[in-house]
Amino acid sequence: MTRKRQLRFTVIRSLVAILIALLVATVLIFISAEGKTFMDKLQATGEALKQLLLGPIFRFSKNAGLSFEAKRLLDIFAAMIPIIFTGLSVCVMFSANQFNLGAEGGIMLGAFVAAMVAIYLPLPAGIHPLVAVLLCGTAVSVVMLIPALLKAKLNVSEMVCSLMLNYIIMYVIKFLMNSFLADKSKGQIQSHRFLESANIPAMVNDPLFIGAKLTWGFPLALIAVLLCGLFMYRSRWGYSIRMIGINQEFARYSGMNVGKTIVLSQLIGGFLAGAGGGIEMLGRYETFSWNALPGYGWTGITIAILAGNNPYMVPLAAFFMAYLSKGCDLMATYARVPAQLINIIQGVIFLFFAADRFLSKYRQKLVVKSAEEELARAGALKED
Amino acid sequence: MLDFLGKLATPEFFFSIIRISVPIIFATLAAIVVEKAGFANIGLEGLMMFSALSGSLVSYYAGSWFWGLLAALATGVLMSLAMGFFAFRLKTDIILVGIAINMMGSGGTLFLCKVITNLTEGKAMASTTGLITRALCIPNIDIPLIEKIPFLGGIISGHNLLTYLAFLFCILTSVMLYKTPLGLNIRATGENPNAASSVGVSVLKIKYTAIAFSGLMSGFGGAFMSMAYAQGWSQDMVSGRGFIALAAQAMGGGECLGGTLSALVFGFAQALGIKFSAIGLDSNLASPIPYAVTIIGLVIFAVARNNRMKKRHTLAAVSEAKAKK
Amino acid sequence: MPDEKKLAAEEYVVRMKKITKVYSNGAAANREVDFDLRKGEIHALMGENGAGKSTLMKMLFGLEQPTSGTIVVNGETLKLTSPSVAIAHGIGMVHQHFMLVPSLSVAENMVLGMVPQKSGMFIDRAKAIELTKEYSERFNLFVEPEAKVMDIPVGMKQKVEILKALVRGAKILIMDEPTAVLTSQETAELFVELKHLKAQGYTIVFISHKLNEIMEITDRLTILRGGRSMGVYNTCDVSKEEISRLMVGRDVVLEVQKGKAVPGRPVLRVRNLEYVNDWNKKMLDKISFDVREGEILGIAGVEGNGQKELIDMLFSFNTPDAGEATVNGVSILGCPQEKIRALGISLVPEDRMLNGIAAGASIEENVISDRASKKKFNRGPLFNMKAIHEEADRLIREYAVLCKSRSQHIGMLSGGNIQKVVVAREFSSSPVLILADQPTRGIDVGATEFIRKKLVELSRSGVAVLLVSADLNEVMELSDSLIVMHGGQIAAYFEDTSDLTDDIMGEYMLGLKQQSAEEIGRVCHD
Repeated sequence: MTRKRQLRFTVIRSLVAILIALLVATVLIFISAEGKTFMDKLQATGEALKQLLLGPIFRFSKNAGLSFEAKRLLDIFAAMIPIIFTGLSVCVMFSANQFNLGAEGGIMLGAFVAAMVAIYLPLPAGIHPLVAVLLCGTAVSVVMLIPALLKAKLNVSEMVCSLMLNYIIMYVIKFLMNSFLADKSKGQIQSHRFLESANIPAMVNDPLFIGAKLTWGFPLALIAVLLCGLFMYRSRWGYSIRMIGINQEFARYSGMNVGKTIVLSQLIGGFLAGAGGGIEMLGRYETFSWNALPGYGWTGITIAILAGNNPYMVPLAAFFMAYLSKGCDLMATYARVPAQLINIIQGVIFLFFAADRFLSKYRQKLVVKSAEEELARAGALKED
Repeated sequence: MLDFLGKLATPEFFFSIIRISVPIIFATLAAIVVEKAGFANIGLEGLMMFSALSGSLVSYYAGSWFWGLLAALATGVLMSLAMGFFAFRLKTDIILVGIAINMMGSGGTLFLCKVITNLTEGKAMASTTGLITRALCIPNIDIPLIEKIPFLGGIISGHNLLTYLAFLFCILTSVMLYKTPLGLNIRATGENPNAASSVGVSVLKIKYTAIAFSGLMSGFGGAFMSMAYAQGWSQDMVSGRGFIALAAQAMGGGECLGGTLSALVFGFAQALGIKFSAIGLDSNLASPIPYAVTIIGLVIFAVARNNRMKKRHTLAAVSEAKAKK
Repeated sequence: MPDEKKLAAEEYVVRMKKITKVYSNGAAANREVDFDLRKGEIHALMGENGAGKSTLMKMLFGLEQPTSGTIVVNGETLKLTSPSVAIAHGIGMVHQHFMLVPSLSVAENMVLGMVPQKSGMFIDRAKAIELTKEYSERFNLFVEPEAKVMDIPVGMKQKVEILKALVRGAKILIMDEPTAVLTSQETAELFVELKHLKAQGYTIVFISHKLNEIMEITDRLTILRGGRSMGVYNTCDVSKEEISRLMVGRDVVLEVQKGKAVPGRPVLRVRNLEYVNDWNKKMLDKISFDVREGEILGIAGVEGNGQKELIDMLFSFNTPDAGEATVNGVSILGCPQEKIRALGISLVPEDRMLNGIAAGASIEENVISDRASKKKFNRGPLFNMKAIHEEADRLIREYAVLCKSRSQHIGMLSGGNIQKVVVAREFSSSPVLILADQPTRGIDVGATEFIRKKLVELSRSGVAVLLVSADLNEVMELSDSLIVMHGGQIAAYFEDTSDLTDDIMGEYMLGLKQQSAEEIGRVCHD
């Protein structure tokens, strides 16, 4: 198949998958829409869909109609930061065929460690967040050694192990917060305030956009994308990770150290998730108050699937997910459709994106067409 | 310390181990059967969440736990068949299908709960605990003579109907796998699908049957969670039991009895955690115990398996050498 | 006339007419092949690897459907859409790779898919065992009904396969290279059993390329070459030479011009290698030999006689129970592949799709897999893409890999071109020792010739080559000296291959003959 056709197929396939998911969403919105009559419901569904699809970056008003809303776009960019990191984390691990699902616990642990550094380790501004982020990345890497080494040495399922670790991380953090670290002067369980020096400064904090704030975490995330892409496609380690993912026997036979690479992929995955947690925590919060897993890890898995494990595609996929998530939030606010609709949309898109045979007949048609053309071209050459 | 041990050696404690283990046992049986058929269903967690929700809701609307149970089972089976469609027909990696189901099982169930309660109750509820009364739960059963036995009676009698069913299914599943043609076909399909299809066994049908069975078991597990273990459904109530079951399957050597025993070990770990919090330990320190035990269990199992393989090989060499002499 | 026609129709139990099979990737496996079977005959289907034998039989057994042509079984034109349909019409197949479930018992394997039941739901084990015994006795095929399949020897597994077909009512048995996995004793046993079946009116298709066996047991034979039928003959009317000519034909025998070898000092030294596999079979039994600089040492033998295990040990995919192996004095057993490669050992693996390539990666990514971490291809932490592109382009050019560009997915290439990529990588790493395991299996003539030439070229430049091939032609043409493996042992060593004949080789390969320890000992150049 020619590259152009391949690309066309990929685009069409993605669009159809998204369309199916939106169709499912529409049906669910219709069911949940308020209204006595069919027409009422239909109208409410339309309103909700408008919020879902256009709301994230447009504002509706009675007299001016649709107007672009920069604040909301910035909100989406801000929401992309943690999920870009978990997306990259999952990309690296899935590329090596390691179904490590620990990004979820990893990002929580990363956020927690960053908070601790921000509170208890006074450092000069500028260096403070940097040290915090490096430390939380390292901390999560160290924790990921558990599933990684168990997989490499004993062939223990990294998936089950990492899932268990998610729960353990969550409970241990909650325990530490409850017992030792909570600010007792507050009604809810939250940490003391971060030191001023630890904050990741805002890149955009224009009072014109009321409350809109985008920290330097965003360009940092994009730099991470670039580095991750270079690592995966332009370095010998990333190359080994990908080859192991495609054919482990081939990698072993070629002289690559399979065990080491399996461990490496999960260490890097852990680092990315941890760093993401730290950046999210230091950029958006002033105290640590998470009392449950944040869900960014699971979104990261969806993003990796949407991006086809290609780091360069992660920002696009993350934008898409952040957009949808924002849309769902708006729907919840303005159309009273529960925001968890996002999970169902996410699941459906995920399923169709990962389906090998989805639209395979259409693909086969393209393949045949290419083959025919090639034959015709070969025939023409012969006649010449 | 002795005092604490004394608190453990009560019928109540053993009773609670069994009670806690039930959903894990159901999920473990599900994991065992699909593994025998040659694949893994990591979506058990999500399946149990959906079943738990539908069970509690239908039980409320129908006013009877029986219909609730049926609905939970139907939900499990139908959703697992859908999983099969994606995995076998559309060739999605079965692990990814499982992840998707788990994703939906977490937030998606809450969405459905809110939407449905909003439609019927006029307000969106984030759980069904307010709807399910004691009478809508699956009943407990006192076994006439056994309940009189001191100590033992307190452990064995008075359990939920599904608890007894769990142990019954442990035996039935084993019988199904080893004594019936279906079980033979499942094992053959898992081990050598080409061999199975070459004698006219439909591998696809067997795989669908196996995944539907895992859905059925998840249905029981989910129903137990929302209609016996707790009164009503709440978000993420299954909290990793579906994943622990995957570990129990591996630790039990893929067999029903071993898997059930492993599930009981996890039940013990959790019961212990609950006891710890009862004597004043932070529950957040006690809660991760079963998860940690799962990892340790997996490691022990892996080490034992590796040693067995090594031994087998040296044994083979030794016996060969002997035969030569 | 009509009477004669009717008679003819009854005489033939199977008629396959003008069968053509084109696979979806465009490869034509069969072209207008006619094939028929008379009742009660043993019919040989002959041809080299890739001649289309298996495809033809897969169509008869319903595993594949012909692109065009008709299949008539017992006078009835059929569409054989699945094995079940074929079985229902009395056609059974004994696959080369047994279709058995190892952890199930013999009896359970026998009844799989047609399980006898009691009380409406349980397996009637007693009945299954009884049935197995009954068939076992009736056809003189001894098996142990209650043993697990993984515990029984290969010969018995094959009997289980035959019985499985018979118990399903097969009157026509397709046997795909049944002797490939058998010892000579087991082969002799099998032939007695097949004759017994024939006497009872069963029809047998015997796929093989072993001439002696064909001459011994078959009544008629059909020869395929390049997907076309070369005709049907009565076995008694043709000589081995004629068959061989029809099967191979001059156009396919590739003579390789190679000067005389000037062997230097030994590079690979193997001493007393022993290995017992997981199923308790001794696969390597005190194997010792040397491969010297500048020579090609061939290993001939029926597949499954320890060649695969030997290569596995030498490339460290597995570790032996005893013995040693060194390359230029350094022990290689149990080393990680990284070190194996650093020592200058290359391997052209037996199954290129299994570990020779990563099908989902590009040609370039495949061709640099062994050298990606070399200094030359890296600049700091990143790849030196220019050097990598140059390397890939150079190898594609030198090894004449037919492709659109270096970034094309390797999985899209033909078998021959994929193998060229593998060979390009393995031959270009300046090796001191090349292990070539079935280097030209299943690829086109052009690529075969190319790879053989390169192999000879390298050996003449001083590289030590160990060549394992099931293609007798290939080992005899290419090797300077040759060992024959049988039953995990070295059965013979020939220092000079120039006056070797197929017949001599055959006798050693089938274990009819065995050289003395002294003669074999000459392969160690101490």
